[in-house]
Amino acid sequence: MFGARNDVPLDRDASSRFLPWLIAVMVYLATMALVVAITMNKLANRWDQGLSNSLTIQVPTGQTPADRQSTERKLIDLQNQLAQLDNVEKVDILNDAELNKLMEPWLGKDVHLQDLPIPFLVSVELEQSNVKTIDAINTLITQNFPEASVDDHQRWLGNLLGLAKVIQMVSLLVVLLVGGAAGLMVILVTRMGLAIHKQVVELFHHMGAHDSYIATRFQIHALKLSTAGGLSGLLLAGFTIASFSTLLGQANSSILPSLTFSLAEWGLLLLMPLGASLIAMMTARLTVLRSLALMP
Amino acid sequence: MRYGTGPDVLHQVNLTLAPGSFHFMVGPSGAGKSSLLRLMYLAHHPSSGRLSIFGRDVSQQDRTELTMLRRRIGIIFQDFRLLDHLTALENVALPLTITGNPLDKVRRNVSELLAWVGLADFLDAKPPTLSGGQQQRVAIARAVIARPSLLLADEPTGNLDDKIAERLLFLFEELNKRGTTIVVASHNEALVNRFNHPVFKIVNGEVRLIKDIQSPPLQKTPGAT
Repeated sequence: MFGARNDVPLDRDASSRFLPWLIAVMVYLATMALVVAITMNKLANRWDQGLSNSLTIQVPTGQTPADRQSTERKLIDLQNQLAQLDNVEKVDILNDAELNKLMEPWLGKDVHLQDLPIPFLVSVELEQSNVKTIDAINTLITQNFPEASVDDHQRWLGNLLGLAKVIQMVSLLVVLLVGGAAGLMVILVTRMGLAIHKQVVELFHHMGAHDSYIATRFQIHALKLSTAGGLSGLLLAGFTIASFSTLLGQANSSILPSLTFSLAEWGLLLLMPLGASLIAMMTARLTVLRSLALMP
Repeated sequence: MRYGTGPDVLHQVNLTLAPGSFHFMVGPSGAGKSSLLRLMYLAHHPSSGRLSIFGRDVSQQDRTELTMLRRRIGIIFQDFRLLDHLTALENVALPLTITGNPLDKVRRNVSELLAWVGLADFLDAKPPTLSGGQQQRVAIARAVIARPSLLLADEPTGNLDDKIAERLLFLFEELNKRGTTIVVASHNEALVNRFNHPVFKIVNGEVRLIKDIQSPPLQKTPGAT
């Protein structure tokens, strides 16, 4: 189909030179926006799964070493009571080494925690997030340590997930806007082609060509250009993703996302050039058919 | 007939062309010869009245039917309208290829026709490399390749000297003998008068029969436009 010579000499138009570049940029932007949407979705899921089933209990240490020792004993009792609750998978009292590690970014290494009013931290892992279990935990803590506080991460996790959702929606909106812009561009280029080749189009019409025959000439042309542009854009996006993936891998951070995609996600990314070609082809066809409908 | 909201280009046109007839249409430049031809090859709808072609009222035909009617009409444009990026052979084959015939299938017929108009050695030549006369013959071959029932020629002798112009008109007579209805628009009345065919003249937007030779003659049809 691509090899056949087009009766309408559209290949010679100036628009034929810039359309593939514009489509390449559009596909690049759409692909990158989709990558952001997919990555944010995965990141949000990871945060949600990682934190929604856990709680952190902060228990003040007390003023004197005797208070501290007493709190430690009561904490072990609390740990046992919590572990016996339904739906509780694991209860850990963070030891000094673990607390030191947590405090290290702010206080530096080898800090004597007993000299500081750092609270005891108890990490509770649930089998699944459940209001009944959280209420039972709260009751036990209030009974044992009325001054303790429980953080179920929901507040900040909710904010973070909301932000991730917004970024995801904006990215998808960008994909749609880019698709719309590509369509408008093809309309413009097709109208330019129709204006430049008005006489040829009229000649075909007068010779008895069906409207669809003429529209197909423009459609094939648009498909050719958009396929070339779309594949270039995808290739460029591929390079960008690979570069980011390498950089993220080097950062070796559990907070940052990893740019790895499932087969279905790769399929979705491949849809971008395919979608661009489809939009270009159909837009060109409809534009020509609408123009031809105005001819007697 | 008028273009857009402009003044009438043609008015009170009442004429019938009998099948197999040969007519000349004369008149000064700008008289409306090309406009009348445009009506005939269905490039324009009459602003009022009725236009019938091959016995069918044009206003009653849908888009597909109009396309099928157009396929029965061959047109030789004053400026030839050849496609510069196609070869002579491809240009002539256009009326066949646009109707779904592959070029390979029609190549033989097209080659024979080009040989008939004296262009056997120019099958692969592109229009810009051909002389005006050669381009004209390519345009004629393109107009007749699909064996049209009606052949319309707009100033086909405009760029030719009298001798070649006369030969061209003899070629049209040959086609007419094979049953094609022919209408030739020309401003060269002297050349037209050398042939024994009816002539109508466009004056002030009206069509007047100025020479009625033999059957089939022009017939006045009341109400027909």
